[in-house]
Amino acid sequence: MARRTHVYEYHRKHGNIVEYAGFNLSVWFEGIIPECHSVRNHCGIFDVSHMGRVLAEGKGAESFLNQLTTNDVSKLAVGRGQYSLLCNLKGGIMDDLTIFRIGSLRYLVVYNAGNRDKNWNWLLKNKPPSDMTISDVSDNVAMFAIQGPRAGTVLWNVSGVKLEEVEKYGTRDVRVAGIPCLLTRSGYTGEDGFEIYVWNTSVEEPSDAVKVWEKLLLGGRELGICPVGLGARDVLRLEAGMCLYGNDVDENTSPVEAKLNWVVHLEKPDFVGKNAIMGLKEKGPSRVRVGFRMKQKGIPRQNQDIFVDAEAVGKVSSGTFSPTLSVGIGMGYVPPSLAAVGETFTVGIRDRRVQAEVVKLPFYQRRSENQVVVFGEEMGLREFRKKYSSSGQPTVATATH
Amino acid sequence: MKGEYNVPEDVYYTKEHEWVRLEGDKCRVGVTDYAQNSLHEVVYVDLPKVGLKVAQMQSLGTVESVKAVADVYSPISGVVLEVNNTLSDAPELVNKSPYGEGWITMIRPEDLKKELPGLMKALSYKDFLKKITEKK
Repeated sequence: MARRTHVYEYHRKHGNIVEYAGFNLSVWFEGIIPECHSVRNHCGIFDVSHMGRVLAEGKGAESFLNQLTTNDVSKLAVGRGQYSLLCNLKGGIMDDLTIFRIGSLRYLVVYNAGNRDKNWNWLLKNKPPSDMTISDVSDNVAMFAIQGPRAGTVLWNVSGVKLEEVEKYGTRDVRVAGIPCLLTRSGYTGEDGFEIYVWNTSVEEPSDAVKVWEKLLLGGRELGICPVGLGARDVLRLEAGMCLYGNDVDENTSPVEAKLNWVVHLEKPDFVGKNAIMGLKEKGPSRVRVGFRMKQKGIPRQNQDIFVDAEAVGKVSSGTFSPTLSVGIGMGYVPPSLAAVGETFTVGIRDRRVQAEVVKLPFYQRRSENQVVVFGEEMGLREFRKKYSSSGQPTVATATH
Repeated sequence: MKGEYNVPEDVYYTKEHEWVRLEGDKCRVGVTDYAQNSLHEVVYVDLPKVGLKVAQMQSLGTVESVKAVADVYSPISGVVLEVNNTLSDAPELVNKSPYGEGWITMIRPEDLKKELPGLMKALSYKDFLKKITEKK
């Protein structure tokens, strides 16, 4: 039977539940499109308690994590975090994750729900030294994300903390509904926002988690906060050009192919996968990840072939209709000769070959209150809304909680 | 999810949730209220080409939501005479009016006498829906 999260009752009452990575979670509440618009225009709240969370503590924690991940953990100041990768010996991506230094000798590692067992076993297999401890706290931590331009106001309403005082990827201890929580200014949507972790609350004893969830909903009520399901979560991350493990990256994909070199620190003395990654970087990859948009009608989907003339040269790794940009968008792997912005190819959608064009990632990202990035190009919010009118009208808040 | 679906009596149904309505010597085809409801928020309809010859239960195209793709199978064999081009700009009509403005194609049937008895009438389709929604 699928597992439940702390706020399962809310999903049961308000959402359309599916099984995802072994958990019962809502795929949507009001609908994928209004939920996407809500996050882009005001704010949305996500239950991401299914994710894996590990605490690494003690003197040896930094070097242990540094040995297993590609980014440089030694560069993390207390209260800062980083996006990183866990690679195998062949340099394939076992998972993507975030590491936050939440105390001088204390690190929180957050990774994908579908990889919880695999990652935990990998950490143990790599034998944490005796001067540190490692604990899987996934089942005893609830985790929610609040994302969107009004996320900061929600935080202020529930905790009296100003989001802009927390650096991007920074952390902060906060109290919500009297309950001590950790906040990180991070997310998976391309919007500003934060993720909040409620400690020491199990699915059997979820009352603290439920209190925080309800407080966040209440704090965002007048701002039109809307619960967001897995469907919109996937669309929002793709619009932001972010990878999804299992779609865009996996154990047979190198960070060099995935264009994730920016989180691989080859100057580190050693880490798992380093030699293989260096080798491929020198040799040059035969395929690389690109973002593309459809030039004709059609929605790209995962595993469809990418063609040049009659020849299949690549594959779509993620594809969707973008409610924010009103066009089919996707990411996929193509030969490097086809990866430059402006290159064109076709996507095999059923029996048709539909034209697509390589664009700069992210497809969409919020830069500031009044600035967004669209297909890699910065523009004012007003101009953006004029150009992409479907998302210009903030959706009416119809949240039902 | 909601349990009550619109099942009009002037059409025949398939197990894949398409409907077909006899209009003179032609047949109009679309997807049912249940189908549009399961897909939710239709954002794109991939229409067949006029002139396409289809066998019964062969795919005519797709109806797509943001995250899902559903094939539209032809309830009957025949030739595609007309497609609902309005859906290119207003795919949401499939949600708003699945048996009306959201129709998908018009087909000249080939073997209606033989194929029609194999399709469901409203009453049996209602029973069919009851069974599959109870399973959930």
